[in-house]
Amino acid sequence: MKHRFLHTIFLFATCFVASCEHPDLTVVTPNENIRPAADFIKNNFEMTLFHAALQKTGLAAELNQEGPFTVLVPNDVAFNEIGVFRPTDFDRMNQDSLRRIIKYHVLPRRMFLADIPANGVDVRYATLEGTSLHTSLASFNPTGGSAVNDLFFDGASVLRKDVGLANGVLYVLDKVMKPQFETNIQALLTAKPEYRVFVAGLKKFGLWEQFGTAGPFTVFAPTNKALESLGITEEVLATMDVAKYNAEELFGTYIIYNKHFFISDSKVFSTINADGRYSYKLKGSPYVMTYFSNTSYPEWILGYNLELKSSDDVFAQIIARVEYRQRAKVDFLCTNGVVHNLETGLVKPGQALKK
Amino acid sequence: MKNQRIKIYIALLSICALCIIGCTKVEYTEIKEPAYLRVFNNLNYVQTLGSKDDKVPYFCMLINPTMDATGEITGAEVIGDFFDKRDAYAPPYPSHIGNSTSLDNPEYPGKRNVLVAPMLNGFDLSSWAQVPSGSLRIVFAYRPKNTVPFLQLESHLKKDILIDTVINLGSKEVYTLHLLQKDFVTKEHGLLLREENFHKLPLSDSLVYVNFYNMSAKGFVEADASLKDGDYRLRSFMGGIKEEMNIFLSLYEDQGVLSHMAPTVPGYKGKYMTRVVRNNSSSAVAPYVSFPLWASSKTNGIQTTMWQRFDFFVPGMDITNNPIHSTTSNTEGNWAVVNCLLNGKVNLTSPDNGTMLPNMLVNVHSGIHNPRTFATVNTLEVVNGRIYMTTIQRKFAPPIY
Repeated sequence: MKHRFLHTIFLFATCFVASCEHPDLTVVTPNENIRPAADFIKNNFEMTLFHAALQKTGLAAELNQEGPFTVLVPNDVAFNEIGVFRPTDFDRMNQDSLRRIIKYHVLPRRMFLADIPANGVDVRYATLEGTSLHTSLASFNPTGGSAVNDLFFDGASVLRKDVGLANGVLYVLDKVMKPQFETNIQALLTAKPEYRVFVAGLKKFGLWEQFGTAGPFTVFAPTNKALESLGITEEVLATMDVAKYNAEELFGTYIIYNKHFFISDSKVFSTINADGRYSYKLKGSPYVMTYFSNTSYPEWILGYNLELKSSDDVFAQIIARVEYRQRAKVDFLCTNGVVHNLETGLVKPGQALKK
Repeated sequence: MKNQRIKIYIALLSICALCIIGCTKVEYTEIKEPAYLRVFNNLNYVQTLGSKDDKVPYFCMLINPTMDATGEITGAEVIGDFFDKRDAYAPPYPSHIGNSTSLDNPEYPGKRNVLVAPMLNGFDLSSWAQVPSGSLRIVFAYRPKNTVPFLQLESHLKKDILIDTVINLGSKEVYTLHLLQKDFVTKEHGLLLREENFHKLPLSDSLVYVNFYNMSAKGFVEADASLKDGDYRLRSFMGGIKEEMNIFLSLYEDQGVLSHMAPTVPGYKGKYMTRVVRNNSSSAVAPYVSFPLWASSKTNGIQTTMWQRFDFFVPGMDITNNPIHSTTSNTEGNWAVVNCLLNGKVNLTSPDNGTMLPNMLVNVHSGIHNPRTFATVNTLEVVNGRIYMTTIQRKFAPPIY
């Protein structure tokens, strides 16, 4: 009996001693050197121009604060494409506009890819600037296939997702977003001299006033040069008889009514339902327009394609076919739609005569 | 002595515990004089580039809503939130609950945890919700497709109302309510309330019943194909069906043979059933037609592998003089086919243009029989380019083991 008692004591004592041992366990310590947003951007060779813009607008200090922020950073190539090559180039810009645009690239929230709804199209998120941007995430095709997760903000493709920061998260964009804030399509087209002939044509053929309404519209705006190649100049326009031409064929062909399409939208829907094409008949005309976007050899830049046919017949004559690959000149987001630049004309006056 | 005292203590303790538990009063939810209601949203949508800027017909249904001074909805007697487009198949019992992780509700009550109708004259009505009878104000409000409950949305998102109307429900009556597009050109929407009568009819246990409706929008079949849903799985129903159609039934012997050219039950190859006329404003119940559960001579009276095919033909056409090729989808509304077999997800391997729905016969494990076949009561509803099936299950004698 007594022995058993001693044995028990001995056993407990051994346990106590054993428990005093402290083996060195390797614990993974979290990285304490993650930088806040502005410092991260400063130290990244791909984002020097965005950093210069932050410096210029005085937003660098704000982005180093607690946050949380989601920063959408266009890389240096994106700035080069809109004509910004060195930090001093920002001096030529209107500082208030620059500040608004840069603030538009920052969201006051920590938004990881997983927080964005799968297959969400045009999901609106508030920006630091006060307005909201359009987010589209092409996750997968519901009828099967692997995950894609192509992410776009206002038509800009995301090159790199979910870069963790001490005070938020960072995405790298392939182009600078182009919100026009309070500007509508009328004001945008008027402000750009390269669309002078297009504007004159719209006015002459009674298609101009609608761009003052809510819309939405998608406009592929042809430059003066593009229209000249079709034989349309201001002088020719002045002599044209409105009654002889079908306005919707001559100038309405550049307009998609009641839709606002970013160039990326077609890419998004080619994932979601395997159909990124949008075909429609022009108003009051048998002409059929097909719009889609894709990437192609050799530059693999997301661009748009237009194909105009004389009818919906399989063997119908192709009137015009356009492939456009300059990502910096598309996706101008106005209050009542989206404007894309177009450098090829579509319909010659002779092809738009009333039958 | 000591043990006895402990026993007494335990006994006292148990009595005390019982007394405390016995005091809890369970408040059962009860609706006095209920009506039984099932609601479908027949407004379909597809996520395409062309429909990107269209409003998604995704609703919150509110019965007898309360509003504040500014007209904002603050609550309702009955709320059917996350009300999505309906599924092709409405099962006889709310199986959605166990089969889904999404909030989207393909019907009301569907996934909602509400009081459901009791067993009525031998029909399992667990897919019908109890709602107060009498005059009800019913509102369908557009809502964004997300997971935030309607009443917690920002106030500017609660103001887009599709329909705000009053319906009258009788006590202990069974209703189906359909949210429909009335006109394809003007995009006018409306409700169709139907007072069902299947539970009042003397229906036989050994017959399978089905009735047909065409609740398509006016002008759908005439509209341009580019304006219609292009889902290839709709096949011959894609373009819609004409105003007046004759329906023919074929019963096939074996749903293991996935072909519309397989052997049929003698006497049931293209048998005329009934005529259906497009109508999306009449609440009249279409007459039920039937076929025998044991039509095939090859069955043992316990289980059958029979499946059904319904041909919708414009008057004058039937399966013997049909000039359209069997794989043609674009029949211009003259011919449409639906095959009801297996779970409605398996395509036929033969060259065929039929859309797919589940078998009308319920095959389940019952007692010593696995499986055993049961007869059902069904409704087939054509809405624009789609056909929907609602199956109602009957109560049978308990299984024998």
